[in-house]
Amino acid sequence: MRPCRPSAELRLGHRSLYIIPSRFGALWTASACLLLLVAIQTSSNSTLLLGFLMLGLMLLAMFLTHDTLQGLTLRCDQPIPNFAGEPAHYPIRLESAQRRPPMRLRLKGQAALDCSTIAAGVSTVALPWTPHRRGWQLPPPVHIETIAPLGLFICWGRWQPQQPHLIWPRCLPGPVAELQPPQAQDGLDEWTDMRPVREGERPAVVDWASVARGRPMQAKVFGEPLAIEVLLAPADGVPLEKAREHLADRVRHLHHRGIPYGLRFGGVTLGPDRGLPHRDRCLEVLATA
Amino acid sequence: MTQRSRSDRYAWWAVLPLLLQCFALNASALLTWPTWTLVFCSALKLRECRRPFDRRLVALLQLLSVGLLAAQLQGLLATVLQVLAVVLALAGLLGHELAGSVSFRGLMQRSLQLLGAALPLALVLFLFLPRVPPLWISQLGPTRGAVTGLSPDLDPLSIVTLSQVNASAARMTVPDGVALPTDSYWRVLVHEQFDGRRWQHTDPPRRPRGVRPVSRQARTRQWWVVEPSATRAVPWDGVSRPGAPDQWITPEGELVVGGASRQKRSFRVVDSRDAGAWQQQPPSARELQLPAEGLVRLRELGAGFRALPNDQSRVEAAERWFRSQPFRYSLQPGKTTDLDAFLFDRQLGFCGHYASAFAALMRSAAVPARVVSGYRGGYVIQPLGGPPYLELRQSDAHAWVEVWLEGLGWQPVDPTQWIQQRSSALAPLVQPAGGGPAFEVPWWQWLQRQWWGLDLAWTRWWLGFDQTSQQVWLERLFGHQQRWLGLVVVLLSLAALALGLCLLRLRLASRDPLQQSLRVLARLGVMPQLGESFPQLCSRAAKVHPAQAPLLMAIAQQQQLLAHAPLNASQRRDHWRQWRELLRQLKTGE
Repeated sequence: MRPCRPSAELRLGHRSLYIIPSRFGALWTASACLLLLVAIQTSSNSTLLLGFLMLGLMLLAMFLTHDTLQGLTLRCDQPIPNFAGEPAHYPIRLESAQRRPPMRLRLKGQAALDCSTIAAGVSTVALPWTPHRRGWQLPPPVHIETIAPLGLFICWGRWQPQQPHLIWPRCLPGPVAELQPPQAQDGLDEWTDMRPVREGERPAVVDWASVARGRPMQAKVFGEPLAIEVLLAPADGVPLEKAREHLADRVRHLHHRGIPYGLRFGGVTLGPDRGLPHRDRCLEVLATA
Repeated sequence: MTQRSRSDRYAWWAVLPLLLQCFALNASALLTWPTWTLVFCSALKLRECRRPFDRRLVALLQLLSVGLLAAQLQGLLATVLQVLAVVLALAGLLGHELAGSVSFRGLMQRSLQLLGAALPLALVLFLFLPRVPPLWISQLGPTRGAVTGLSPDLDPLSIVTLSQVNASAARMTVPDGVALPTDSYWRVLVHEQFDGRRWQHTDPPRRPRGVRPVSRQARTRQWWVVEPSATRAVPWDGVSRPGAPDQWITPEGELVVGGASRQKRSFRVVDSRDAGAWQQQPPSARELQLPAEGLVRLRELGAGFRALPNDQSRVEAAERWFRSQPFRYSLQPGKTTDLDAFLFDRQLGFCGHYASAFAALMRSAAVPARVVSGYRGGYVIQPLGGPPYLELRQSDAHAWVEVWLEGLGWQPVDPTQWIQQRSSALAPLVQPAGGGPAFEVPWWQWLQRQWWGLDLAWTRWWLGFDQTSQQVWLERLFGHQQRWLGLVVVLLSLAALALGLCLLRLRLASRDPLQQSLRVLARLGVMPQLGESFPQLCSRAAKVHPAQAPLLMAIAQQQQLLAHAPLNASQRRDHWRQWRELLRQLKTGE
């Protein structure tokens, strides 16, 4: 099959659909021929008609199976960035003027997604795949196939979506240079007030120094911990690709902990910040710089 | 209920009509065992299937089973069950592929629509594709099995036994406008060998070579349905010709149907000018043979006739002698099988006695003779539906004699008719043509006869279209231009396929008003978005097509009313009409 050129959308039609009898279709035809032979030998009209009916259904099934996919439009949607080596989903918008029987979609070499029915209008499916390389990646070609309604023919089409999928570097724990050291580790020193100790209070929050001086037992009241700011950079002596993966892991780790961080990588410097957009910017730099 | 078990349920329902038909098969038929195996395998596979392919395979096995059953059981009831099994098997196949998205009713409708769409092509091939005669002669039907009917070995008492059986032997109907023969002799078996007590019949081993094909212009004379019997020979009037290549007339004058005798057979016979050729077949030595010993008094009587100048006068002399004796006809003739004792002492017997004794007497008078067993008379039944038909029962079994007369050939002689003391049982019992629930028959028998009438009408219509009928039909259509038949078949097949496809596309398109509206909007290039209501969709479409905005908003309103408003029947009809009109205007762009 000739390789398909990437495109933003594809309307499935005669030029983009292929059809062959399925294994079951071959069995069906053989059975119809067997019935015709029995009909000839026994001069049975009913058997003869059934044999011809089965052949007629076989021919009709070719058109019906083709109709299942014909006119369906596949359109690129905006994929959500994903880490390399982790399961990702590539979204496809399916546009159909009418409800369609079941079909199966998959990205080449990846797990298939069974769609029980496609409703009229626009629907979105997310095709699973596992990218292994970072950067803006084109997914493998989309393979759409169906055997509905009778299972006698397989009709399929291929489409290379144009919309690339941003794949962040794989997350691999490892050494990372932190250009600005953290200011505090546990936050137990930054108490702002004192209050009487309650029953069941943690010993760690008790002001033991005051107790030692003979004062009543009191508990420390803490304020919000101070933001710790780090500027991440590749560790010395680590190959660049490995460093990307270590940095990606560190970025994800710090993002989860809610600690502000910055990044200096490949000539790009992103100041310390936190939040999802910042994380995505950092990971995009790591993926593409 | 899961989708899988739902699709399995349809397949299980298809097993039921298959099983019912399996009970009607005869174990000694060649096709029976493959059929039973297929039905059993399909049920087993259905129970054990795990993969989608297995479920499709079950549907295919069921269709194959139907095909084999149809080759063996061709009656009306069997055909109804076969159609049901095909529809259910196809529904099972569709139910699996459509993954339970369609209801049972929808699935059955879809199954019928598919069959309806495939039917035009199947009919074109069925009607126009020239039939091929059997590639080889095979005995695909049963060869054993308990049956009631005429036996190849005829002793005087065997007919007596049969005459007390009320079962149906055969049913026959004739073309419209032709009267049913009610007092005819229907010959079945010719018994040539006589051992002093029994008259034996030898079954023709195989079909003779060089059987002349049936004339294409030959008109159908009778349609027959014959119940299972012990012999391949079937009732026949002696003057028709068989209508199919696997049926032939033996030199003795028996009509043999190629199919196995131990199952119900249907066939037709056609008019013929030379079907009586068997009557001119000269007698063989067997037809003059008498046992070496015994029958002393009969031989003496026969020897007395030998002095007469020709066969004709000997037969007439024997008739005179029979008429002069005080013979009596009885259904309880005792256990006498000795012909001497019957002829000269008891003189009480049934048709078997008279035929046996007369044939033996003729042989002793050097006149070639043989006993023929078959049926005589019958009942004319007028069912509520279908044409009238003649029913032959086992109790109509009869035996008579054929004698060879120089210049005339084999001539039938019925010595039973000479007997004055015939019981009324022998007289042809003909029911009034009005039919209906005869008072003398129980209700179940009346129902059975009605059913047989329908069955015979079906047989006449469906089995009538055989290879010969097709040739006649094609000749009538194309005359001598049959070389174009191939092209016509191809063109008609393409047209039939296109017709089926159009029908299917038209019917498969959803009738739901929402789906219809969505299709029209899709033509205008407006597709529904996720989470978008129909009025919202129409508003968006109105922005894209401002000229159609009033129409679109009106459609949205009608749609909402039809979908959600509590309307009575007349209001609903009214809104339907308005909605259809609006949709039509939108389609045509008025």
